[in-house]
Amino acid sequence: MKCDSLLADCVDTGLILLDRAGRVRVWNRWIAQRAARPAAEALALTLAEAFGAHIDPRLALVVREALDFGWSARLSHVLHPMPLPLFQPGGERSERMLQAIDVTPVDTDGERHCLLQVHDVTETVRREILLKQQARQLRQDLQRLSRAQAELQRSEMRFRELARQAPAGIFEADSEARCTFLNERCEQLVGHKLADIVGRPWLELLPAGEEVRVRDRWLLAVESATRFTEEFRYPHPDGRPLWMRAEAGPLRDEHGHISGFIGTVQDVTEFHERASRNEFRANHDSLTALLNRDRFERHLRAAISGAREVTDRLALLFIDLDDFKQINDTHGHQAGDTVLKVVASRVRRVVRCEDRVARYGGDEFAVLLVDAGDDLTLASIVAKIAHAVALPINLGHCHVRVGCSIGVAVYPDDGADPHSLLIRADQRMYGAKRGEL
Amino acid sequence: MRAFTALEMDALTEAFNLSLGEATAAFSAIVREEIELSVPVVEFVSRDELACRLQSGQAGGVEDRLCRISQHFHTGDGFATDALLLFPEQGSLEIVRRMLGEDTSVEQITELEQDALAEIGNIIINSCMSSLADLFGSEITGSLPRVQSSSVARLLEDKSPESLILVARIGMRMSAHNLSGFVLFLMDVPSIDHFMGQVSRLFGLPEAPAEQP
Repeated sequence: MKCDSLLADCVDTGLILLDRAGRVRVWNRWIAQRAARPAAEALALTLAEAFGAHIDPRLALVVREALDFGWSARLSHVLHPMPLPLFQPGGERSERMLQAIDVTPVDTDGERHCLLQVHDVTETVRREILLKQQARQLRQDLQRLSRAQAELQRSEMRFRELARQAPAGIFEADSEARCTFLNERCEQLVGHKLADIVGRPWLELLPAGEEVRVRDRWLLAVESATRFTEEFRYPHPDGRPLWMRAEAGPLRDEHGHISGFIGTVQDVTEFHERASRNEFRANHDSLTALLNRDRFERHLRAAISGAREVTDRLALLFIDLDDFKQINDTHGHQAGDTVLKVVASRVRRVVRCEDRVARYGGDEFAVLLVDAGDDLTLASIVAKIAHAVALPINLGHCHVRVGCSIGVAVYPDDGADPHSLLIRADQRMYGAKRGEL
Repeated sequence: MRAFTALEMDALTEAFNLSLGEATAAFSAIVREEIELSVPVVEFVSRDELACRLQSGQAGGVEDRLCRISQHFHTGDGFATDALLLFPEQGSLEIVRRMLGEDTSVEQITELEQDALAEIGNIIINSCMSSLADLFGSEITGSLPRVQSSSVARLLEDKSPESLILVARIGMRMSAHNLSGFVLFLMDVPSIDHFMGQVSRLFGLPEAPAEQP
């Protein structure tokens, strides 16, 4: 028995052995420490005597069953949290230790005994509470996550459908201008599938000059995190020269940095064409497509202020057709228009491209020769113009000839401002006409 | 092995019914809630037939796991039986967690929950055993309960295919929970004969079925 009690004292489980009469025969150190009662005191006492009357009635019941019928029983912590008044060694005696007890019949020395094995489940309970808290937390997190995911899916679907139905091209690009998304309309507009241009900055699709300009604007928008708005020429892969307008707002990543832009692309070619037509109309004579008087005088002023710096000679020529009225009267206005168009085109051909030619009114034309050269050169140009105008003009049913009178004024020799130059050229033109008469 | 008469089966059912009544009382006292254990249906079947029946009776299909609480019993004169209590794992866990006042479900049975299941099985099996002990008029020593959980298909794999099984089907009802389980006693043939001898004697039935008219 000495050896038995030595062993019993070594295990980390509470052991109580009761004899047939229910009296304590073994009371190991584990129990002694937690019941605060040494083995010497407990031996030969019943459980009720050893612990006082504070024992779970079911424990008494199963001890009796083990002794009388040889049955084993387990008292789980869940159904019997603290069957015996045991306390943590060194701890407060205010709260019982959490326990689980196994009760088994043991036959020794030809006699029935009952063994109680008491386990401290405090740590297990703590662990399982923690486990369940974590499980609860995890489940909540998971629910939150799946809600967020569902919301994300919905908003993504919304965006996708919106992008699909949108009449405008929609694009998304990273800060390096590489496209990450194009809607169908955008793919049609630019004539490329996203898959074909992904990973490549869209700016590379622009013609060289435009690319540099638009890239600067893009970099500026990235740097200043402002809206990017730009119009540029865009050669469609099918050959059409287009004008595009891109507008985009910056996208930020989780650190607040600009991660890219999202926005729209529109084909503004028609708008641009209309605008340039309007501009042409505002500056040109509709019949001859030469500059109109207004525009011509603006060029004249600009040329004079430019010439002051480089000390160039400018020549202003006034050309008036002779007997034009007669052609009108004889062959009709249509023939007159034809003559004006032909003259315009001939004068245009005689001068250089940088020279300006205008229909000044009625049958009057004006020419601005920049870098006019010396008087000799000037005289030869005037002669060439007179010659070209005087060639026969085909009216379809006949040829006509029309002469012209030319007045020349030279800057700076004849005047230093447009007004005096115009007057001078006009006078000389009339002089020439009168001389002819 | 001889067949059992209807009278003998009735006697057995009656014995189990009495002892389950006591188990019910023990339970209700522990959980302080009304628990009802239904009148058992008792029969003898072979291992394979039982496995078959358990599988076909599964509402959720064969994937559902069963919780098995087992205890071994034996007498001094050679009678031995394994007592098994089977519950669907999900349902039994719900009941245990109700007792724990927990609504948190963890995928696996925890240690404490397993212990609680062991005790529930222990109470039911011990009470059934008490009625068998009465029949035998001798002492039957029992081991501590052991809890395992497995699929229906593998549940009885460790038992011999020849063993005949005494099955008592019981229902357990607690508040909104309805749980149907089986108490099984697996015995070898000598144990069964021995067992039936005791049944016949106790209820004053003829020792063997009358072969002659």
